[in-house]
Amino acid sequence: MNELPQQLANGLILGAMYGLIAIGYTMVYGIVQLINFAHGEIFMVGGFGALTVHLWLPDNFALGAAIPLMILGGVIVSVAVATAAERFAYRPLRTAPRLAPLITAIGLSIVLQQVVWMWYPDAKKDRPFPQFEGGPFDVFGANIQRGDLFVLIAAPVCMIALGFFVTKTRSGRGMQATAQDPDTAKLMGINTDRIIVMAFAIGAAFAAIAAVAYGLKNGQVGFRMGFLMGLKAFTAAVLGGIGNIYGAMLGGLVLGVAESLATGYIGDIPGMSLFGGGAWKDVWAFALLILVLLLRPQGLLGERVADRA
Amino acid sequence: MTTTTTATTTVLDASNVTMRFGGLTAVRSVDLTVNTGEIVGLIGPNGAGKTTFFNCLTGLYVPTSGTVKYKGTVLPPKPHLVTQAGIARTFQNIRLFANMTVLENVLVGRHTRTNEGLWSALLRLPGFKKAEQESRERAMELLEFTGLAAKADHLARNLPYGEQRKLEIARALASEPGLLLLDEPTAGMNPQETRATEELVFAIRDKGTAILVIEHDIRFIMNLSDRVAVLVQGEKLVEGSAETIQADERVIAAYLGTPFEGAPGTEEAAEVEAAEAQSTTEGDAK
Amino acid sequence: MTTKNPAATTTDTTKSPTAQATPLIPLPPTAARALTIAGSAAALIGTFLAWTWTDEFPGNLTVTGYPGGLQVLTLVGAALTLLFALSGYGIRGLGWLTPGGTNSPVLLLALGVLGTTGYAMGAISDELGGLVNLDPGAWISGIGSLIAVIGAFGLPVDQPYDDGDPTPHLWGRIRHSLTAPEPGRAKDLPSWAEILIIAAGFGAGLYVFAYGIGTEYSELFIGFLIIAAFGFTALTRAGLLKRLSALTAKHRNVNLAAAFVAAICFPFTQSNDQFALIGANILIFATVALGLNVVVGLAGLLDLGYVAFLGVGAYAAALVSGSPQSSIGVHFPFWAAVLTGAAASLIFGVVIGAPTLRLRGDYLAIVTLGFGEIFRITMNNLNGNSGPDVTIGSNGIPNIPDLEIFGFNLGLPHDVAGHELTRSGNYYLLMLLFTAIVVMVFRRSAESRIGRAWVAIREDETAATAMGINSFRLKLLAFALGASLAGLAGTVQSHVSYSVTPEQYQFAGSVPPNSAFLLAAVILGGMGTISGPLIGAALLYLIPAKLQFMADYQLLLFGLALMLLMRFRPEGLVADRRKQLEFHETGQLDVPEDAPLPEGATGVAKAGA
Repeated sequence: MNELPQQLANGLILGAMYGLIAIGYTMVYGIVQLINFAHGEIFMVGGFGALTVHLWLPDNFALGAAIPLMILGGVIVSVAVATAAERFAYRPLRTAPRLAPLITAIGLSIVLQQVVWMWYPDAKKDRPFPQFEGGPFDVFGANIQRGDLFVLIAAPVCMIALGFFVTKTRSGRGMQATAQDPDTAKLMGINTDRIIVMAFAIGAAFAAIAAVAYGLKNGQVGFRMGFLMGLKAFTAAVLGGIGNIYGAMLGGLVLGVAESLATGYIGDIPGMSLFGGGAWKDVWAFALLILVLLLRPQGLLGERVADRA
Repeated sequence: MTTTTTATTTVLDASNVTMRFGGLTAVRSVDLTVNTGEIVGLIGPNGAGKTTFFNCLTGLYVPTSGTVKYKGTVLPPKPHLVTQAGIARTFQNIRLFANMTVLENVLVGRHTRTNEGLWSALLRLPGFKKAEQESRERAMELLEFTGLAAKADHLARNLPYGEQRKLEIARALASEPGLLLLDEPTAGMNPQETRATEELVFAIRDKGTAILVIEHDIRFIMNLSDRVAVLVQGEKLVEGSAETIQADERVIAAYLGTPFEGAPGTEEAAEVEAAEAQSTTEGDAK
Repeated sequence: MTTKNPAATTTDTTKSPTAQATPLIPLPPTAARALTIAGSAAALIGTFLAWTWTDEFPGNLTVTGYPGGLQVLTLVGAALTLLFALSGYGIRGLGWLTPGGTNSPVLLLALGVLGTTGYAMGAISDELGGLVNLDPGAWISGIGSLIAVIGAFGLPVDQPYDDGDPTPHLWGRIRHSLTAPEPGRAKDLPSWAEILIIAAGFGAGLYVFAYGIGTEYSELFIGFLIIAAFGFTALTRAGLLKRLSALTAKHRNVNLAAAFVAAICFPFTQSNDQFALIGANILIFATVALGLNVVVGLAGLLDLGYVAFLGVGAYAAALVSGSPQSSIGVHFPFWAAVLTGAAASLIFGVVIGAPTLRLRGDYLAIVTLGFGEIFRITMNNLNGNSGPDVTIGSNGIPNIPDLEIFGFNLGLPHDVAGHELTRSGNYYLLMLLFTAIVVMVFRRSAESRIGRAWVAIREDETAATAMGINSFRLKLLAFALGASLAGLAGTVQSHVSYSVTPEQYQFAGSVPPNSAFLLAAVILGGMGTISGPLIGAALLYLIPAKLQFMADYQLLLFGLALMLLMRFRPEGLVADRRKQLEFHETGQLDVPEDAPLPEGATGVAKAGA
């Protein structure tokens, strides 16, 4: 059972990634009640953006120093795509029945996947992502790879920054107001359009950071990486309470740890020996979602969605 | 117009109804009864909790404490069961099925009084046709009653505002309720339309349905109601006949603002201030 | 008779054009019409000449006197253009062609001919390397069609501008010239004549459809799409389709019967098994889309993993089909297999729906999406390594035996009245039976108390519950019904494809059916209607199948199409009249006549009250 720290560590690392992506889903849903299907692909293009920066840098550039630049590159690409999507695909449909923006989001997600697949050089297969040299650290019995350190630092930093933004800055409070009641917010002089753009942008930025983490952890990025990660991240957002940004991160962590533990230990349960291992991890994630919806549909920390009735 | 004489029974008995949302108490210990053949009005300033109270009467909210009884039985906690039991309502903001026709809207209203299920529909058993026919006839009767029969095949969203309100009422009547809850039925209407609605409500009462109306139009309520209850800040301030209410100083102060006739003098202004102070202290004391 | 502008019975000079009604190209009307006719005639004649000198371009366009391939398309288009242009002269006997717009159909057809011919010329040049490869015949047709278009733009505009509206700029005027007023009511013909017309309409439709499926090379298919699209729009503007649909609405059961007779005839028109197979697959896809239409189109539930129900039915049927690789060694008779498949899907539908349908609709979307993926992963994993060996994992269960129903072996070709029915043809007819059942289920449930309740829930769930509708139970009913219908289709699919594999059931992939394509078929075709998803499914299946050379771009175009569709025509192709009003604030209302008010109606404000 000294695997446990390892499994926990894996779970937290994975969960932090889910959480960062989930922020994007939850913020957008909380304000405009739209499941931004393309958010998984925003995550994906962020990863490719970061990769591109790395490819431009000279060969002997230290990875540690390159990381901030890569993050910047990824963020720029993600935010650009997300805000363009909001402006040209979603905004015209804001008054349309709910189905229209959802279908548009699905279409956009497919388009983004295909664009990368077709036009990014060599993207038909997964492309390798730079890795840190050196061995893992031993923390309480768990091996932590150097690359994983990134997300363990980045996630808390991002959450603190976001918390500060939402509670202490004018724009942040405007975002809370818009999330609760967009019409009144408008009457109070808040530029709700700008707020919505901000929500998309922040979500995209966080997703790009998660993509860098993903690349560092898995050693590769591919055009399909957004689909399953996106699905699970939305699950995490629902788990934590949709619209609730702390819920998103919490949900991500819970989901990551649950997946890890299930993968590691389900096989030990008598009779379930065949069900252990990585092949089933997505199934457990989904099962967790169903369970939460059955028992506590508002999520762990409660929903925060504007009443659009 | 003669009033139907039936044995007077208590149709609605709401006692001590309290509704709390987290820290906010929207409705506080409200008692209200409605008897057969009565039209009861419910007035109060905006935010006084009238619609919330309605929602407690229809199963949309389950009261935090207190009971609501319809014809002696406690209300079931689900809205569709409440309608099945016999309470129907209209909404403050019109909630028609905009993309269905007028007739279809009323047919949906009949849902709870019919029971052809999926198998009956798929197999088109003989009972199905008969039931559909009956439903249509009943629906057309209601449309004629409300004066909408000519527009039976129009889409609900194409009706002018006043007729949309009438359609909501027709739709609510389709479930053959013993108690009809009308939430601001004359909002946005001109005096002519308001008069027409008054007549309609009387006609509904004459057919045997008791009615509870929320309204802001004082003249409408006073003409219409046998009794009026005043809700202020979630509490029932006073209840009585139209004349009693109009004369009550607290009501005047809290709701009507200026006195009903004549210009306010300094004495009356002082009275108003005193009344306001009184109602705020009463609110604090609770 | 048809309401025709008397001014048009002579020449068009008696219609005094206001400044607003001037056509785009200022020509005197007689000249315009003459040009149109001359141009179309030239285009038509050109098709009898050779268009190119070599056989390398498919369709054999090298022979004089025998139009082939794309030439045939131009020929048909030009002939139609001539016909409609002539009807504008008010020639008796042709007036019935254009009850709606007179000139816009001509314009549209001319544009269609230009499109097809231009495309043909472009394709020839592109493939053979240069305009020099075009023979005079092609140039004659090409220039002829251009002249026809110019002439058509010179014809007076059908739809008058509203008074007071400013004359729009060029693009607006072009668009406006393509619109036409609605046709008036047709005079009633004797029933037998109307039924004959319906039958003829379906016959024509069948022919066009079979032609489209049977196109052997992609250039022909593209040309076909162009002329079909323009031609269809032209017929709509001419008002003919409105007339036809009024007739079909009058004789609804005849309509349905004719549709099925036409559909039954289809496999007999195909001696090539490949095309019958396409037909069978289209039917499967279309039936599943119709099932999804119950869930999404009627009840408004967003199901993103619907294809999983198809898969459950298929796997269930495969497991009991007696395939040697099946882990359950039973061989059910067909009817039992069907019930098994439908029941399995039903159970899963209830299991998935029960916890999620109480919650907000967006959660259902995610849960169903997850279920779709989980289904695929589970089927993949039950291969003996990651799980008990039930489904053999990614290779799936092969060798599903052909069905034998009442001794009729569906796997073998049969001879029916002198025509050959291939294996795929057999399965096509079997599937047609299922499609008929699903259509009936859809129609009967939609037009009932249950169907109304579904639409009410979709419109406004709170109001619906206030009307006494138990929304949870009804949503579950819709969901479960949709699932069973998909399961039903799945049982046939497993036999048609000989095997079931997990990869067939994805969310989005290049091969339909998958959940994204199904959703697109329902939405593209038109939610809540019967013919909508059928047409949508047919198009979505056919286009990728026919345009193989574009395989790489398919998904990209699909995604773009979804986005554009939602932006500009969210109600889909076959617009449920209500949906169209829901998505657009149209000025034109399809408002029926008011019946006179009965005396003594209460609640009606009396004047002076």
